[in-house]
Amino acid sequence: MDRAVPLPNPAPSASERSFKKAIQRLVKGGPERLAIEAGQIDAIIDRGSGNAILLPAAQRALIERKAELRSLIGLASDWYWELDERYRFVSHRGASDDADGFAEEGMIGKTLWDLSIDNMSDADWRTHRQQLEWRAIFRDLEIRRVGRTGEVRYLSTSGEPIFDDRNQFKGYRGITRDITERRQAEALMQAPRRFDRAILDALEAPIAVLDQTGAVLTANQAWLALVNTQSGVGTGVAVGSNYLVVWDGASGDEQVDGKAIAAGIRQVIAGERALFRYDYACNPPPDRSWYALSVTGIVGNGHACAVVSCEDITERKRGELLLGLEFTVARCLADADTSTVALQSVIRAICETQGWDCGRYFCMDQSAGVLRFVESWGVPSAVIAQFLEKSRGMVFRPGAGLAGRVYQSGQPLWMLNSARGARVSSRALAPETSENAACVFPVTTADKVIGVLAFSGSKVREPDDRMLHALRSIGSQLGRFMLRHEVVNVLRLREMRFRVLTDLACDWHWEQDRDFRLTQVVGCSAFGTPDVLGLTHWDLPHVVVADVGWAEHKSQLAARWSFCDFEFAIVQPDGKQAYYSISGEPVYDEAGAFTGYCGTGVDITKRKRAEIELRESEARLRAVMAGALPHVR
Amino acid sequence: MVRKKKDRAASDPVTAAAVEMVLYITESGPNSVRAVANLEAICKEHLQGNFRLEIIDVLQYPLRALADGVVVTPSLAKLSPLPAATVVGNLSDKSGVLRALGIVE
Repeated sequence: MDRAVPLPNPAPSASERSFKKAIQRLVKGGPERLAIEAGQIDAIIDRGSGNAILLPAAQRALIERKAELRSLIGLASDWYWELDERYRFVSHRGASDDADGFAEEGMIGKTLWDLSIDNMSDADWRTHRQQLEWRAIFRDLEIRRVGRTGEVRYLSTSGEPIFDDRNQFKGYRGITRDITERRQAEALMQAPRRFDRAILDALEAPIAVLDQTGAVLTANQAWLALVNTQSGVGTGVAVGSNYLVVWDGASGDEQVDGKAIAAGIRQVIAGERALFRYDYACNPPPDRSWYALSVTGIVGNGHACAVVSCEDITERKRGELLLGLEFTVARCLADADTSTVALQSVIRAICETQGWDCGRYFCMDQSAGVLRFVESWGVPSAVIAQFLEKSRGMVFRPGAGLAGRVYQSGQPLWMLNSARGARVSSRALAPETSENAACVFPVTTADKVIGVLAFSGSKVREPDDRMLHALRSIGSQLGRFMLRHEVVNVLRLREMRFRVLTDLACDWHWEQDRDFRLTQVVGCSAFGTPDVLGLTHWDLPHVVVADVGWAEHKSQLAARWSFCDFEFAIVQPDGKQAYYSISGEPVYDEAGAFTGYCGTGVDITKRKRAEIELRESEARLRAVMAGALPHVR
Repeated sequence: MVRKKKDRAASDPVTAAAVEMVLYITESGPNSVRAVANLEAICKEHLQGNFRLEIIDVLQYPLRALADGVVVTPSLAKLSPLPAATVVGNLSDKSGVLRALGIVE
């Protein structure tokens, strides 16, 4: 074996030289001695003990090295510690002996779990001890302790196992850092977030924040409650779900809304619009729900691109629909000429608005004391048509059946599908409800119930206060209409009878304005000509005005007196006179102002001519008798 | 401290046999630090990675050094290819080290 000889080191000190001479006694080899002499050796292995003996320069370097390491440890940590093989503290050094507060209770000889630490559960300690048993390196084990003064300290400790040269486990060594300030700073940094979170959760409207892909980054409690309770599209869109995908996948009745909403959200995310609003409905009637969606863009806030607010406006929408229904009913009643048209249009409007299948109107027959079927409307369906056909001729006594109960109490009644109780037989109610849900409410006038509207459907929602108000309003509107219509019918019949009697008593009837000009002449061809409107009686064509009776007639009119059987004559084209008799009375408006005259007229030409002829015959007879019998006058 | 450096030729039988060496040092000793640096430079210049080096800290493994017949640190033992050779000191004598490793300039 070749042995290379090192070159001599030029500058060994005197003390080092004396030490090396003592050391060289342990070294027998020439090259080793030369190397020691040259100052190129750090340590000598003592063959007797097996220990390494450091030469002075190496000793100094090792001491400096340890000092450097200690300094680095001091920079990186607050304490340095060592545990024995039973995990008991055998060393614990740091910037201050009591800086972590453990010194007050004495750490040496205790394990970490013997110390007063309040944030570690039994399970946590079991896990940590398992790590130690596995001789695993542990990092940043965070422990918390509360000092005697109540001061909370957060400590982070890391450790690694120690083995000897025979690979025997000797314990652990590690460092501990006081992270109290960092934790407090983190808590301060978290405070604004908690504040924002609290505000978000305090908002009543459901709110979610979307990223650029449409995924829900965060949502408030109201949103989570909404998506967990609502049915239809949007159900279960929790944090992490993609809101855009949900709307893209909408189907059925919600497909159109889904496409529109997805497009609007994409526009907001892309910055093409700042705000997108959309109202949409879920579920078929009567469980239909409405939501007002509002999407607002966010600029310059990291991943967040849009804020979605989804407000449940079902109650408001139902109120609007009911208000619209009330207006519709009012319009139907105003446009209806007959009660049949009115009832059908009203029942249809209610059915279509509420999603009910059919409705029937039962009117109280006062003479018989029963509710009789009058009118109905139903959706095009053979079953409904059959049900309505069976309803014809149906009568209910007050208190009998749903209709009878509603008539008797004057209060609405409804029966939900799920609410059929043991005391209510669905079979018994089948003729009334078609074995469906039902809603029955009274039709009222000011002081009494005159009929009942009964609706049936596969689903009837339990009426809320707003709906009950609408039912009362509709029942009242319809009741007033029916009453008014009944009165009008009575008046019409009376007028018809009066007109018949009038026609029997006269040839025509007439009306004048306040200047006594004819405004209406109804009847047979009066005065031989139809063109008399706008003329006074004394201005009629070929009227005989020389008669002094006209002056008296005019004075009567001026005095607003009634007049009877005023007779006058008109020269007809054949030169003969026609005779007429008119009667009239003044007319006043509601304010008492004179508005003209109305009256009747009779053609008395035959009678007058007969009278004239009789008078002439009588005159001729008198003349003949005077000639034959001069003494007879 | 035991450090091992594996040569590239270990997986390449076509090239020359790798030089197998053990360097005994004292961690943080000035001569040991210098010896490591000198040997790294020589290996880089002359062996081009065709070597296997094990560095042993005798403070941690004194018995290993004793068993290998090493009495001072730093010491470099060339194990193969034969003949074996030992260099003591901080390896600042480059030519002596090359000679011991069987490398002729």
